Amino acid sequence: MTSPIGGISFPTAVTGLAGVTGAPDAVAQAPAAGDNGFASVLASSLDQLQATQSTSDGLAVQAATGDLRDVHDYMIAANEAKLATEMLVTVKNKAVEAFNEVMRMPV
Amino acid sequence: MSTFDSLGISGSGLLVHRKWLDAVSDNIANVNNVTSTDQDAFRERLIVAQAVDYGSGEGGVRVARAEYGSAEGRLVFEPDHPLADANGYVRYPDIDLGEQMTQLIMAQRGYQANLAVVERAATAYQAALQLGK
Repeated sequence: MTSPIGGISFPTAVTGLAGVTGAPDAVAQAPAAGDNGFASVLASSLDQLQATQSTSDGLAVQAATGDLRDVHDYMIAANEAKLATEMLVTVKNKAVEAFNEVMRMPV
Repeated sequence: MSTFDSLGISGSGLLVHRKWLDAVSDNIANVNNVTSTDQDAFRERLIVAQAVDYGSGEGGVRVARAEYGSAEGRLVFEPDHPLADANGYVRYPDIDLGEQMTQLIMAQRGYQANLAVVERAATAYQAALQLGK
């Protein structure tokens, strides 16, 4: 009766994002020279993902303690958290792939 | 609530239909309540659904309020009943069980339809994410 996504939580990953910003920054800065566009997008979507996950976790706790009024609320929150995680991971994979592609470029 | 909007919208539909189911079950549970003629009969519960902020771009539905049926009920001649008045009448709620069963089916099917939308939307979003692989 535990949440299927319960194991995936980001307790420190978001706060320690300063280290993460470096890598995509290098990718984003070079061509666009924008104010770290991709890094900030990634950071804000990580924040959103964490919010979605904590909503889902809260509902899972309610389900366990018997306080859950609507079954579908939890199911939808869990579904949304799963989709958001998948989306973020896909975007991350794409970014890493692009970075690797650039690194493979013969100079 | 921006990327996966349809999940939230279907969730509001599920909530409304769940409340409708609650109202119908309340009506059916109280369908045989007997009251004396100087008291109100059980009043049928009716759910009023309303679109959320129609036209603002935010979709979904919500329960605006609950309406109540007639307190008059129907008078039934039962002289042996302990609650019967001098003329032998008692008051029953004015609830048609057949109509309640119809509403029950409508609420159930509506709930299922919203669940189907959730399922399809999740599958569609997942298919879109496969685009990146």
